[in-house]
Amino acid sequence: MLHLVDKILNLAEKQADYAEVRYEKLDKNKIILKNSNLEVVEFGVTEGICIRVLLNGALATSYICEGKFEKAKAAVENAVKSAKASARILKKKIGFSKETPYKDNYEVKEKIKLKNVSIEEKIKEVVNIDKEIMSTKLKIPARFFDLSDAVREKLYMNSEGARIHSIIPRINFEYLLTFVGKNSEQRMYQFSASGGWEIFKNWDLKKKLLEEAKLLAKISKAPKAPAGKMDLLVSPDIAGIVAHESTGHPYEADRILGREAAQAGESFVTANMGGTRIGSDVVNLIDDPTIPHSFGFYLYDDEGVKAQKRLLIKNGIINSFLHNRETAFEFGIKSNAAARANHWNAEPIVRMANTFFMPGDHSFEELVEEIKKGIYIKSYMEWNIDDKRYNQRYGGLECYKILNGRICGLVRRPILEITTPAFYNSVDACGKDLDFSAGTCGKGDPMQAIPVWFGGPHIRLRNVFIK
Amino acid sequence: MNIIKKALKMGADDVVVESQRGFSKQIRFANNTVTISQLWNILATSIFLTWNNRVVATTIHDSSEKTVNAALRKLMKTVKVVKINKNYYNIAEGPFIYKKITDIFDPRLKELGEKAIDIVDSSINKALEFSEKTAGVFYNTCVERFLETSRGVKAKEEKTNVQINIRAFNAKDESGQAVSCSRTLSKFEPEKAAEKAGTISKLAKNPKHGKTGKFDVVFDPLSIADLLSLVGRFSSAFMVDSGYSFLTDKIGKMVANKKVTVVDDGRMENGFISTQFDSEGYPTQRTPIIENGILKTYLHNTSTAKKFKTKTTGNAGLIAPEPTNTILIPGKHSKEEIFREVKNGLYITNVWYTRFQNYRTGDFSTIPRDGIFLIKNGEIAGSFKNIRVSDNLERMLKNVAAISNKPEWIQWWEVENPVYTPYVLIKNVNITLPTM
Repeated sequence: MLHLVDKILNLAEKQADYAEVRYEKLDKNKIILKNSNLEVVEFGVTEGICIRVLLNGALATSYICEGKFEKAKAAVENAVKSAKASARILKKKIGFSKETPYKDNYEVKEKIKLKNVSIEEKIKEVVNIDKEIMSTKLKIPARFFDLSDAVREKLYMNSEGARIHSIIPRINFEYLLTFVGKNSEQRMYQFSASGGWEIFKNWDLKKKLLEEAKLLAKISKAPKAPAGKMDLLVSPDIAGIVAHESTGHPYEADRILGREAAQAGESFVTANMGGTRIGSDVVNLIDDPTIPHSFGFYLYDDEGVKAQKRLLIKNGIINSFLHNRETAFEFGIKSNAAARANHWNAEPIVRMANTFFMPGDHSFEELVEEIKKGIYIKSYMEWNIDDKRYNQRYGGLECYKILNGRICGLVRRPILEITTPAFYNSVDACGKDLDFSAGTCGKGDPMQAIPVWFGGPHIRLRNVFIK
Repeated sequence: MNIIKKALKMGADDVVVESQRGFSKQIRFANNTVTISQLWNILATSIFLTWNNRVVATTIHDSSEKTVNAALRKLMKTVKVVKINKNYYNIAEGPFIYKKITDIFDPRLKELGEKAIDIVDSSINKALEFSEKTAGVFYNTCVERFLETSRGVKAKEEKTNVQINIRAFNAKDESGQAVSCSRTLSKFEPEKAAEKAGTISKLAKNPKHGKTGKFDVVFDPLSIADLLSLVGRFSSAFMVDSGYSFLTDKIGKMVANKKVTVVDDGRMENGFISTQFDSEGYPTQRTPIIENGILKTYLHNTSTAKKFKTKTTGNAGLIAPEPTNTILIPGKHSKEEIFREVKNGLYITNVWYTRFQNYRTGDFSTIPRDGIFLIKNGEIAGSFKNIRVSDNLERMLKNVAAISNKPEWIQWWEVENPVYTPYVLIKNVNITLPTM
């Protein structure tokens, strides 16, 4: 493949100011089990190439799949032709920040290779999870499970001399459980990571989903959560989704510059807000693609820039944004390697990797004991946020009342609907713990679903309004 | 030897081969300038195969004999070790005769080429007559679709479409968004969309923090399409079975106001995804999902129809039934008459990020974006921001008070399944706000 990518790059760089070629091969398997029935087993190996050129300040891509590799020359010409056509009406030239052209090769190791685990074994694992839930005799009429694994190989080269080869295996288990009783309750969640089959085994999903099934039954009978101003303790699951939605996204420099304005939207954060206080002193927030076995793991981004940890909020103050080479050029700085494409047929755009609140110094007990009246939201179902990432909402699922420093009984569906500054300024303590949830983040047009983790410690907020 | 014959010779029972080839061209723009131009060469073949009621599927992007043979060998090897799909009851028995659908292919779109850039340029300029800044995306797609099944189907069709999504901005928080989508160039109205986006952004002057409570709300086609698209998706029998639908166990029951009739129409003229045949080769049709407020049917393929003791509705995807064009049947009122009905309410032009606390009960929230207007005695009396619709989908459908008489096609980044809908007035919509 190196020869083909090199050949295409040679063709492209002769006709453009800048060119890059990204080859990807994806070997994927998917099992869907619905209500104890194996609906389908899907698999496939897809290969394709993205050719991206910058010419006269205009950016263009052309994509070809395996069956069209012999048409690479025409694909290069199409990209060049498109860039020339765009340049006709261009009002501002696009540029890329200057970066070191790395050459490297890396692979995420699998203790048990995904390809060596039979499809029967994978099916058996999912069937056993379903059986475990059925053994409870609880009324859970709808049980939807989706187990997928994928090994993605990439070869990236650009006209500045970068050459990165990588192999990243990922495993992903998603589910929706529907309990029907006094009230219906649902739980939708996913476990995902990079690595081999050993990761799936370590998740211990039979136990976890059994507990969740039993919990849904209890939640359905719980009293409605009290409303009003009170303290709030959120779990790493909630801290994570907050970190992702109201720090990660609004700190994406392409949103700040308006490139996603017609789709995922813009940002309440403006380009000159670096150094502005956005939260209390205890808020520190990071995005880090280099966490081993994380779902958002990579060591070089899809522009060949070396991955690094990004400190987005430092002691409550906006510290940095997420950049690719295009936005870094606009800001007059270097990229911090946030360019990601979800497949060979997608352009690299600014994305998060693993976004999380940094842990603090409180034990869980200390966080709880200082709450006189409050709510502990441990998990959620509904959530959303506006397209500037200012107005957000989280609908609690597993939630408890806290009275005089003690966690009391389950309560049903407390709603936190709050602005971003109000949330971050209300945080008064962060726990010592750190945990992550997995997500498949959507952005770009066409939509690019990208693997991420998000997380944090338990976090305490003072005096917020619960509905 | 073709793929079907090879698969049958290898022992498969049912086989479906669905191929697409063609191109899709995209031009994205933001801050009044082009940000990227993209071209996809589409070549994909999906193979669905069964053996002794076991189901497997794959997709290949190379139709060489070597790749096809390897895919079939792996399919046959896999299908023999997987478990029985108790919900599988064969695919449709063909062959079928297909009636042509008007205006789903336009040769001019096949040859549009770099003229696309001029359409984008004129749309940006039109929006700028009303606003300071625009962003959006233009797509032009041309695809040949081939379908062959082991049950006698051999069909093909050529399809085109063109669409623009444009958002216009004035000062802070003053924005408007609109779309135009069509299967033919003659029915494509990019400048009209640009003008609407620009006009909304101009009207949304100096928006104030909204108010919480129950409001009568006029939903623009763009905003109601977001919810109707979900009604289409949740009508799939597969989604119902999976727990992803508020329509579960409600066939024959009132799920909407009697003014509401929602139809899945795979054969509509110029319908954004109209097609002559579904993925089993069964002819597509017009299927009332909700008729005068009553849930009439889910959307089916041959297998789900058998399970639900009914007939297929011609909505087969390769694995599960999928909606085609979701249509809200127009009412008798003009748009102006609907606005006049509102004494003290809202006009919501767009929404996004619709998420459910519970799919089965329909408890959800969605976030209005772009122009949100206060309506007093039928007139725009101010502009709001930061509100959220926090309600129940079935309750909202039951509270539909009026539907206008001119539908519009909506399909964009947020509304994946196309919807053809007029303006809709819904009473007592629950509006919430964040604490600051």
